[in-house]
Amino acid sequence: MSEDLESRLRAALRPVAPGDEFTRNLIARVTKDQGPEANARGARGRSSKPSAWWLSASMAASLLIAAGVQHHLQERRETQRGLEARRQVIEALRVTSQKLNLAYEVIKSESSPPADDEPGV
Amino acid sequence: MNEAAPGFSDEQLAKARSGDTAALGSLIQAHQRSVYSLALRMLGTRELAEDLTQEVFMQLNGSLKSMASNTHLQFWLRKVTTYRAIDQLRRRSRIEMTPLDDEAPLVSTADGGDPLLQRHLQRLLLELSPPARAVLLLRYQEDLDPIDIARTLDMPINTVKSHLKRSLEILRQRTPHPERSRCEDQST
Amino acid sequence: MRNHSLRLFFALLAPTLALAAPNPRLVLPEFSALAKKATESVTITLDAALLGMAGRFLNGDDPQDAATKEILKGLQGIYIRSYTFDKDAAYQQADIDEVRNQLSAPGWNRLVQTRSRKSQANVDIYIMVANNQATGLALIASEPRQFTIVNIVGAIDLDKLHKLEGQFGVPKLDIDVPKAPAPNKK
Repeated sequence: MSEDLESRLRAALRPVAPGDEFTRNLIARVTKDQGPEANARGARGRSSKPSAWWLSASMAASLLIAAGVQHHLQERRETQRGLEARRQVIEALRVTSQKLNLAYEVIKSESSPPADDEPGV
Repeated sequence: MNEAAPGFSDEQLAKARSGDTAALGSLIQAHQRSVYSLALRMLGTRELAEDLTQEVFMQLNGSLKSMASNTHLQFWLRKVTTYRAIDQLRRRSRIEMTPLDDEAPLVSTADGGDPLLQRHLQRLLLELSPPARAVLLLRYQEDLDPIDIARTLDMPINTVKSHLKRSLEILRQRTPHPERSRCEDQST
Repeated sequence: MRNHSLRLFFALLAPTLALAAPNPRLVLPEFSALAKKATESVTITLDAALLGMAGRFLNGDDPQDAATKEILKGLQGIYIRSYTFDKDAAYQQADIDEVRNQLSAPGWNRLVQTRSRKSQANVDIYIMVANNQATGLALIASEPRQFTIVNIVGAIDLDKLHKLEGQFGVPKLDIDVPKAPAPNKK
C-alpha cells in the first residue's frame, strides 16, 4: 500500500511546465544578460519617426490597457489574499489541534493504570 | 515548445559556459520545468513561481562557469530554488503576499490521475511547513533519496526521514485506500 | 449643570470600565532573537478582517472547509507563534514568561495543565469566559525543542472544536466551559 501511495504521489507531483510565453521571455532575458552579442532580437529597420497622431493613439491605447490590467491585477490580488488567508487559517487550526493532541496524549498517558504491577493482570 | 529538451549533455553545458546562447537556451528548456514546479509548489502561485524561476536562472547565469557537470548543475538549481523559496516564506510574517492561485493547480491533473489524492495532496502541500514541503517535493517530484535531500537542504538525515514519514502518515489518513474501502463495504 | 455632571461622571467611569473588561488578546513578543536560532518558525496573525476574508474562500461543500467555517464564526482573531530548534534547551522558560504572566490577569482561567516527565512536554490551556461563554483561548506548549503559543480571540465554540476530531486530529478533551469565573483563579 505504501508503494502504491508513493507511486501515486510521484505521478501527482510530475513537473509542470510554465506557459510558452514565459519560457520565451525567460530565455530572452537570460541570454540578453549574457552580453550584447547574445541579443538576437533582430533589426526591424525602423528608420522613420512615427507621426504625432500615431503616438497619441498608441499612448491612449496603452493607458486603456494599463487601466484594464490594473483592474485585473487588483482583483487577482484580492483573490490571492483571500486564498492565502484561508491557507493560514488551516495552518493555524492544524498547529492548535497538534498541541491539543499533545495535551491529550499526556493526560492519557498519566491517567492510564500502571502496567505489570497487579497480580493476576 | 515546453517539453523538456531531452538529454541535455555535458557538452552542451560546456558550450553554455563559454557563452553559446543557443546552448544556454537549451539549458533553460531542459531544466525550467523542474525549477518552476518546485517554485510553484513551494510558493503556491504562478506569479511568485515565475518570479522565482527567473531569479534562479538569472543567478545561474552568473554562476555558470563554476558548473562542472549536469549533476552539479541540477544540484545547484534544486538547492537555490528551495532555499530561496523557504527564505521567502519565512520572511513573511503577515499575510500580504504568498497567495494561492486557484487557477494553477499545484499537482498534476493530467493523464487521469487520482483526483481525490490530488485534492488531499494540494491541501497537504499548503499545510506543511516550508522545510517539510521542500523535503516532500525533492523526494517525489525530483526523485531524490533522503541522503541527497539532506545534502541539498543542509538538513540532518533523520529530520528528512521524519518529515517524510509524517507527511505520508497524514496523506495516508486522509486518502482512503481503494482496497480498504472495498473491505469495509464487504464487512457491513 | 446636571447633564454636565452626568457626562463628566461617565467620562471618568469609561476608562475604569475599559480596564475592568478583560482582554482576551495577548501581547505576543516578536521573539526575533529566537526566530534567528530556530530551524522552523510559524508566525500567524489573523485579525477579524482576515478571518472574514478567509471564510469567503472556504468551500461549504467540502467537509473540512465547512467545519473550519463553523469554527471561524464568532472569532475575532487567531495568533500563533511557534519555534522549532535543532537542539534541546535552545530557549528559556523566561522567554515565554512574558506571555505566561499575562494569563494571571483577571478573566483568564486555567483549564488544563499537563506535565510529562517522559516526553518533557508541558501544555497549559487557559480560557477566558464572559456571560458563560468562552471569549478567548490561550495555549502554551513547551517541549525540549519547540515552543508554541496559541491565542484565539472570540466566541470559541468548544463543541465545534470537539467535532473537528479526525479532521485536524483534534482529540476530545472533555473540556467544559465553566459556569462562572472565579476571581483570580489560577
